[in-house]
Amino acid sequence: MITRVEVVARCGPGGRTVLPVVRASGQLAVRRTGPTSVHLVATAFGPLGGDDAEISLVVEEGARLTVHSVAAAVALPARDGEAASVQRVHATVAGHLTLAPEPTVVTARAHHRAELTAELADGATLDATEQVLLGRAGEEPGRWTGTTRVERAGCPLLHTTISLGPGAPAWLPPVAPRAYAATASIGATLPVATGQDAVRLPLDGGWSATAWGAELHRVVRALAALGGADEEVA
Amino acid sequence: MTAALLTLADSRLPAGGHTHSGGIEQAIAAGRVHDPSSLAAFLLRRLQTAGAVASGIAAAACGGADLAVLDAECDARTPSPALRAASRQQGRGLVRVGRRAWPSPVWDALPAAPHHPVALGVAAAAGGLAPRDAAAAAAYLSISGPATAAQRLLAMDPLTVAAVTARLSPEVDVVAEQSTSRATGSPADLPADTDPLLDLLAEVHTARRDRYFAS
Amino acid sequence: MPPDHNLTDYVDPYENHRHGGPLRVGLGGPVGSGKTALAAALCRTLGAEYDLAVVTNDIYTTEDADFLRRNAVLPDDRIEAVQTGCCPHTAIRDDITANLDAVELLEARHPGLELVLVESGGDNLTASFSYGLVDVQIFVIDVAGGDKVPRKGGPGVTASDLLVVNKTDLAPMVGADLDVMRRDSATVRGDKPTLLISLREDPAATEVAEWVREQVRARALQTT
Repeated sequence: MITRVEVVARCGPGGRTVLPVVRASGQLAVRRTGPTSVHLVATAFGPLGGDDAEISLVVEEGARLTVHSVAAAVALPARDGEAASVQRVHATVAGHLTLAPEPTVVTARAHHRAELTAELADGATLDATEQVLLGRAGEEPGRWTGTTRVERAGCPLLHTTISLGPGAPAWLPPVAPRAYAATASIGATLPVATGQDAVRLPLDGGWSATAWGAELHRVVRALAALGGADEEVA
Repeated sequence: MTAALLTLADSRLPAGGHTHSGGIEQAIAAGRVHDPSSLAAFLLRRLQTAGAVASGIAAAACGGADLAVLDAECDARTPSPALRAASRQQGRGLVRVGRRAWPSPVWDALPAAPHHPVALGVAAAAGGLAPRDAAAAAAYLSISGPATAAQRLLAMDPLTVAAVTARLSPEVDVVAEQSTSRATGSPADLPADTDPLLDLLAEVHTARRDRYFAS
Repeated sequence: MPPDHNLTDYVDPYENHRHGGPLRVGLGGPVGSGKTALAAALCRTLGAEYDLAVVTNDIYTTEDADFLRRNAVLPDDRIEAVQTGCCPHTAIRDDITANLDAVELLEARHPGLELVLVESGGDNLTASFSYGLVDVQIFVIDVAGGDKVPRKGGPGVTASDLLVVNKTDLAPMVGADLDVMRRDSATVRGDKPTLLISLREDPAATEVAEWVREQVRARALQTT
């Protein structure tokens, strides 16, 4: 199934953010849940292998936007074949964008690809967090591949592809985590911090942090323990 | 391929590689690598992440892509400050010997301390090699250095270590092939595979004062 | 070889053509022979005469660099420590990249530098410096290792520009015959100088310092 979401945040009269475009088709609906926030709502089971979702976010200068989702996404395998489900988020940001969706759970035999491309203008800020769990309780892990590319004024600041699950490069026992969480933040630079299976790295004008482990709630806590994540959720 | 590739990938090429362990010194300290099979696992994950990135950048640099753009793409794919420093240190070392071994005007387009894969691609071009050769050298070097370091640190049987490295050859070829095929388009499409474990190991390692290796 | 080839095509024209810059002196020798103590002595004696800096090659820690800092022989920004990847002799002979980086960093930081001491990690008698890294090298052994050491030879003993036999004050205690060491050194080294010293009795390393001064002068004549 093809899913398309489009949201535009604009600086309106008096400096207040307005959302002139909020539309969606396919498996996701989008609801305004605050003056500067929207929630993505799943309208169907899935995503299933082969599904293709594209989320386009534009945050104009002076505007703010926060994108949540109402529930975890449960990625399921294709009915036939091994096609991955794909979700591409393309953000063009001149103001501030927070991306804080609920976790993605990748079920056994499913492969989910998540891509975030953020093109920032000089002075734009970003906080993007993702949480992943491979397999539901008692289930074999699925496979997840996440690519994050952040550019500012056309120059790449961060470009990483993390692959988790059976057969993935960075997923060889004994270090084969079922849970993963990461944040990319552009706005204020933070120095290196390390924890048990968690690391925060400085970027030019920002930072990225990653944590991994067996259980998602512990991983999320480890990520938070690195610091810098408290101002994220609007 | 010409014989220049053998020189470029030779661990005895004096480019400073022997003082870098590619994270394996810290992996050993953390108990992640202790025997041939855990060594193979470490090398494979390094090959398919850092090796794939290096391979793609090297192929693109050899193919004549803008070197400043590639250097920035390499930075974006190497967020760990410790790994960035290690890469630039090795890039500087390779430029030093490469300029002498294969004099060519292509060296002049490089910054003073480029990322190692960028320098490797330029060295390959200066040596008359093709992008696929540069990719092969980068992929191979991503495991040969750490393998030697593990042999020294764990006093492993050198024949065992040689066997592990040799048996990874098909995987090295796959990485080189795939990276080369992604090196002809936009630099943004180059491989960006990352292993956060390597980032963590590198940052913990660089803060230590009792270490044999620079990285 | 094809007839139209000239052998000079294969030769790197830059080899040994480092003009200007400080004299680089290698300090090698086995563990415990007194390399760091000699480096410290030379810093104390020559520090007022020359703009100087030191590169240390510890095998595991930054202990030697810390020793030099602790004893305030040199300010921090004149000491660089390099890691040698478990192979101290590789780092000074076969792949000198890390040491060249350190020397070049010091030269860039102190443009007036006249003398750089490169102290190797303690290694065996076969370890010697590449002349791509240093201009001259001093090999340090001690009498406690036995008076047979000069006779046994090895590149450090036979080919170094200066052989220093340290800890002569210990000779009676370890039963080492200094005359044997002097004679054997002369036999294996030909015209190259050997100095028998005791850093305990002469903490200024007077004779070694004088030899270094001669080298600085000789280099100045060569490169001007």
